[in-house]
Amino acid sequence: MRESTIMQIQYVTAVFAIGLVTLHLLMQGVLVPYGDALMFQKVLSLYKDAVNGALLEILLIVVLAHGFNGLRIILLEWRQTAGWTKGVNRTALFAALVTMAYGTRTVILAATGQVS
Amino acid sequence: MGRKELELKVQRFDPSVEKAPRFQRYAVPLKDGMTVLDALLYAKERLDHGIAIRFSCRMASCGSCGMKVNGRPVLACETQVADLGSSTVTVRPMDNFAIVRDLVVDLGSFFSKHAGIAPHLERKGDLQEQESPSGEYLIRPDELDSFVQFTYCIKCGLCSSACPTSSTDSLFPGPQALAQAHRFVEDPRDEANEERLDLVDKEHGVWRCHFAGTCSAVCPKGVDPALGIQLLKRHVMAARSPSRRKKAKGGGGARVFPNPNKDLVKSP
Repeated sequence: MRESTIMQIQYVTAVFAIGLVTLHLLMQGVLVPYGDALMFQKVLSLYKDAVNGALLEILLIVVLAHGFNGLRIILLEWRQTAGWTKGVNRTALFAALVTMAYGTRTVILAATGQVS
Repeated sequence: MGRKELELKVQRFDPSVEKAPRFQRYAVPLKDGMTVLDALLYAKERLDHGIAIRFSCRMASCGSCGMKVNGRPVLACETQVADLGSSTVTVRPMDNFAIVRDLVVDLGSFFSKHAGIAPHLERKGDLQEQESPSGEYLIRPDELDSFVQFTYCIKCGLCSSACPTSSTDSLFPGPQALAQAHRFVEDPRDEANEERLDLVDKEHGVWRCHFAGTCSAVCPKGVDPALGIQLLKRHVMAARSPSRRKKAKGGGGARVFPNPNKDLVKSP
């Protein structure tokens, strides 16, 4: 993938992350009182709401794509050997995909009531 | 009452025999209109012949005397001692370059990076015209305005010295090379845009600029390399966007691959 394509993704995910995090925080107040937002059962109930569950999944993908690419950029500027560049590119992609899969699994399990 | 004196602190370092740089102090009599280069040359001619300095034109035209004066990358020949507002002037070599000796740095990698972006006009379709020119490639004044400021670069290296990315990423082309890439991409007479954009659209290319803007702040010629780099990013994005490329080919909107042949004026 060209670096310009990756950076396009970086900029788009940055804009989306601002909007989605804002929406996420607003929805915390709509669905449950802010004071209870981090209580275990309340968090589970957020996942069971279809709209909020979808929002959390999209937020997960957007933030992970943005975050891991940001980390990749920092590491690329740290060292400049060809092996390091290739290794960082592959590791960042792999780590993002694994984390995304694990996060998605959590969203699905919580949304389908398999976590109690 | 004695004459006013300037305390000149010069970083001395010969990497072939010394392990670490040291500072040497010189008392230089102040004169009206004295520049830092004047002070250094006074010290070199009368106090210590061993100070290594690179200089030539003494009029901010050749870009040879780039160095750090009181912590800021400047051309020594155009920096007035009186403007520094200090009786002590500390002179060090530019950052982000290997030191050859004292204030002289190795600009080899800097020029290699400049050469790496193919800093020349390239024509593809009219070899006959290039071998036997029958006219000039003319451009409109507004087209010239779009890149003329980037042609003022004197390759002094001050921008790269001030660039935070250049200090960490040795493969980053640097503000000078990237601004020059933009200069040639913007030039309607050039036909190698796609290849040049490929050269900078890499892991260690144009995207590693974080727009700190220090390059533009220290540029002695007002080139504004940071602006050139942001415009170059826009060129790369436009070239990679199918809709923008199609629009450009249709003759409207973004000029991604300009066709300069229409401007070829034949002699009567």
